[in-house]
Parts: sequence; structure tokens; C-alpha cells
Amino acid sequence: MSEAFAVDVDNVAKSFGTLRALDGITLRVRPGEIYGLLGPNGAGKTTLIRAIVGLVAPDSGIVTVLGRRMPDLDILGRVGYMTQQAALYPDLSVEENLHFFAAISGADGNVTEVLKTVELEQRRNSVVATLSGGMRQRCSLACALVHRPRLLLLDEPTVGVDPQLRVQFWDHFREMAAAGTTILVSSHVMDEAERCQRLGLIRFGKLLGEGTPNEVRAAAGTNNLEEAFLKLSGRASE
Amino acid sequence: MSGHRVAAITSRLLHQFRRDRRTLALLFVAPIVILGLLGYLIRGSASAPNVGVANQDQGTLGATIASSLEHSSKISATAISVSDGNARLKDGSLVAYIVFPTDFSQRAIQGAIAPEVHLEGSQPGSQAPVLQALQDALASLAAASPSAIRFQPKVTYLYGGPDFDQLDYFGAAFIGLIVFFLVFVITIVSFLRERSQGTLERLMASPLRRGEIVVGYMLGFTVIALVQAAEVLVFSLAVLKVHNQGNVLLIFGLEALMAISAVNLGVFLSMFARTEFQAVQFIPLVIVPQVLLSGILFPVSTEPKPLQYLSDVLPLTYAVNGLRDIMVKGADLTWSSLQLDVGVVAGFCVLVIVAGIATLRRRIA
Repeated sequence: MSEAFAVDVDNVAKSFGTLRALDGITLRVRPGEIYGLLGPNGAGKTTLIRAIVGLVAPDSGIVTVLGRRMPDLDILGRVGYMTQQAALYPDLSVEENLHFFAAISGADGNVTEVLKTVELEQRRNSVVATLSGGMRQRCSLACALVHRPRLLLLDEPTVGVDPQLRVQFWDHFREMAAAGTTILVSSHVMDEAERCQRLGLIRFGKLLGEGTPNEVRAAAGTNNLEEAFLKLSGRASE
Repeated sequence: MSGHRVAAITSRLLHQFRRDRRTLALLFVAPIVILGLLGYLIRGSASAPNVGVANQDQGTLGATIASSLEHSSKISATAISVSDGNARLKDGSLVAYIVFPTDFSQRAIQGAIAPEVHLEGSQPGSQAPVLQALQDALASLAAASPSAIRFQPKVTYLYGGPDFDQLDYFGAAFIGLIVFFLVFVITIVSFLRERSQGTLERLMASPLRRGEIVVGYMLGFTVIALVQAAEVLVFSLAVLKVHNQGNVLLIFGLEALMAISAVNLGVFLSMFARTEFQAVQFIPLVIVPQVLLSGILFPVSTEPKPLQYLSDVLPLTYAVNGLRDIMVKGADLTWSSLQLDVGVVAGFCVLVIVAGIATLRRRIA
């Protein structure tokens, strides 16, 4: 259980037709850290996350997750994956969704606990179709947490989430990381980047820069992370 | 294969059905509506075609036949005069009229029974009862006047019997078809919904094996399909009183095989559709040709040769044939024809299960 990296993406390339979605990307996430994947729309963030979880077969390169070379179905029981859109069964209740996702991961599930975490205890018996967008997003997060994963992959988890809820989400993430869970989160919102321990900037399927928010700012010679990001990605397109 | 994970999928599907009242209604009300309609259409046809009878015979035979025509249940006969006949065919108040000419009795004694039958002719379906009623009347005449003609065919039935009708013939096939069709539509759409709402992505990013997903689906839908199959069978036998000569459990077993193949065909074909709309397009492609060619409507032996080859490779052909053999002829598993039918349906079942598992791709590209 003491592998050096929770996620080890080594020189991974993937093309869809003529589009090079991942262009020889190398990226390592340490156990227990919150790693932010930054990049504009279409940069390859989702493809990278899907390659990590084994849904995309790389053309070349190696993905290792929690010490196991992917694809590896059994290790997926230790991984939580939250997709961009809330992927839930709309005609099941919140609790039924949670029980289902716990069961397919082979866990009893800490349903009551995650319901408390995402503050959906009152709506546990509500059918998902009747929930608001933000509640669905919370339920979707709960489904990614319910089997107590050691690695959490979050693909733009706060899209369409109001600022107050976003703050709550990030509080949970920090608590989980403190308890030893590794979190890889993609975003294009800069104030979220500020909350990550390390950042990776990706564009055109390549890693353009990596480091703590301070390091990234220093590398770009600016005090503003957004400016730093624009500068760094501008350099790549030159 | 983990039983725990398979059970998770199966019980989730059943939970979803509990909430989805409309789909439940489709599964359990639609078969009753379809079969009830079919039964009413075939057996409830009270409207016998209107036939005019003009008796000009100078002897007595014409009147005897005319009166027996008026008593026939196949047509509704009324006396008319010959001069009105053609006009009434044209205005649609009659589908046919029958004339017994002045020398009818005289010629009958000489051995030539020659009634004139004038048909409207544009609706082939309505002329059969007219000719049938006339035949019955002539047969009864022969029986009534032994001095004149002898016409006493002795009819025996190998299968069925004098009361065996269209519903008995179609009913046997429809029992299987309805289950196959409805279960197919529901599986293909719900499996596709799994894809479009993004939950399949989540299933794929879990330790679930492909086989576990397919088997979980199969079990969930099979439970529903078996309840539906039982309902259809009970309705057909108890309410519609469709002719059944065979073992009810055997019928149910064949229905169950069809339901399981429908589920897996749905899972398999959902891989080739991106949206629910595209999935529905498989109905004219996959279901309609099978309905036309499987012998449900037209016996395979009467099809043009090239189409017979096609019918011979369609699984529904064997299912329909098997159900008819059981219900109409009382076939059991010692019949080699039924062994073939059941074998082909079971083989198809295994084929689509394997195809479903093989095409369910975990990884995109």
C-alpha cells in the first residue's frame, strides 16, 4: 500500500481519428494530495481522467493506478469517479442510487455517512428526478464516495454548482485528503485551482507546466494564477 | 462472476420498474389490449356480408336452397328481384347476389346444379363467406332430397376440428410474438438510457465485469418477461379460449426462451444505436420482417422459394412453429420437429447472450 504515486501516467498518447486528444502526457499524483488538472475546454482533461480509470485505451504509454497497471477491474473498487454530468438513475431514490453504486463496487457502503457529508439526509427517500440540479450534483458526488475510495477522480465536479455549495465541496475534499484519500480534480475555474496542493496545466493533450499554485505563478512571472495560466498556455501555442 | 454484483443490477432494474408505472402498463396492459382486439376482430365479426337471393326457379329446389341460405350464419341473405341486383352491388348495399334461374330444378335433376353467383369483387375477404354459405346450402339440399343427388362428404380432422378458427391459428403465434416484441423494445430502450444518462460510464468505471452487467440485465428483465408471459398465456387460454392441445408448461417454457432471447437481442442491438430514437428504428428493421416471414400471417410453405430460405434462418419462425405445434397439434418434446424448434430458439438465445457480452465494450476505441 505504499506505492510512490497514486496515479502514474507515463507518456500516454491517444488519438480519435486525426484529433490528438492526449499527446504523450506524463503526470504523477502523490498519495493523499489534491491535484488540480487545469485547462480550457477540449484540452484533454476528460480524456486523461477516462484513460486513468481505464475507459480509454491509450495508443501508447502506461497508466498505473494505486500500484496496478490499468486496465485493472479490481482496483476500480478503490477508485471513485464522478463524471461531468450527474450520472444517476433518475427514477430511483437518492438512497437507492447510493446502495446500488456501493454494491457494484463490492462495498457495504457508508450510505448514512455520505448522505451527511453532502447534506442530503432529508432527501434520502426522494426520487432523483425531483431533485434540483445542485442536489443531483451532490448526490452524484455521494455516489463516487460511497464505497470509501482511496483515489477520487472528479471531472469538473463544481460545474453548475452555486458558490456556497462549491465551498462546501472543497471543504469535503480537504477533509478527505487529510484522511489519506488522493484527489485528482479537473477544472477550468481558477479560484478552485488556488485550493489545490499541486496543479497541472494541460492544453492540446500535453502537460504545459506543473507545481504548487505559487510555483506556477512564479514560473509565469505574475501574481495572478489566471494570468499565469494564459501566459503558459499562450507560450505553448506559439 | 460475482453473484452479489449481478444481484445489485437485477434488483436495481426491478426497483426502477416499480417506479415506472407507464412502462409497467405497457408490459402488462398492452398484451391484453392486443390479444383482446385480435380475438374480438376474429370472433366478434357479427356483420355477415349482405347477399341478395333471387329465386326464379319454376321447380321447388330453388326455394329450398334460398331458405337455407336465409338461415345461414355466414351471410345475411334477403330476397331481391334480379333486375335490382347489379344496381345494389354498385351502391354497396350487397356484396353479392345469387340467382336461381327458371330451369334450375330441371337441370339439377339432370345432374347440373347451376346457380348464378354475381360478386361485387373488389373485396376479396367478403366473397369467401358467400361461396361457403352457398356450398353449405347445396350440401343440405343434397341431404334433404335423397332422390336427386348424392353429395355427402365425410369430413374428419387430424388437428383442430370444426370449431377451430383463425384465432386459434393466430393466437398460438401471437402469444410468443407479443412477449418477444414488447420485451425487446423495453430492453433496448432501457439499456440505451443507461448509456445516454451516463450511468453506463460509471458502471464501466467500477469492478463490474461485462458478463455481470449482461447477466444482471437478463435476470431482471426475465423476471418481468416471465410474469408477462404467464399473463398472456392465462388470458389467451382462459379468456379468449384459444385452442390448446398441448402442455401449458411447455408453452410457457418456449415463451420464456423467447423472452430471454428478446432481452439479449435488445442489449446486443443497443450497442449499435446512439439514441433512443435510433433504437426504435430497429423495430421496422428487426421485428417487422420477422413478423412477415416467420409464418405468423402467411404459412412459410406458401412463400416464394427465396423468401422461404430467409424464413428458415429467422429464429421467430421456429418459435412460432413450435408454439403452433404444441397448441394446435399437441406436440411434446418427443416430436423431432419440436426438438428442432426448441433447439433453434435455445441456440439463438445463447448466441445473443454471447454477442451481447462480446460487444459491450468497456473501453471506447
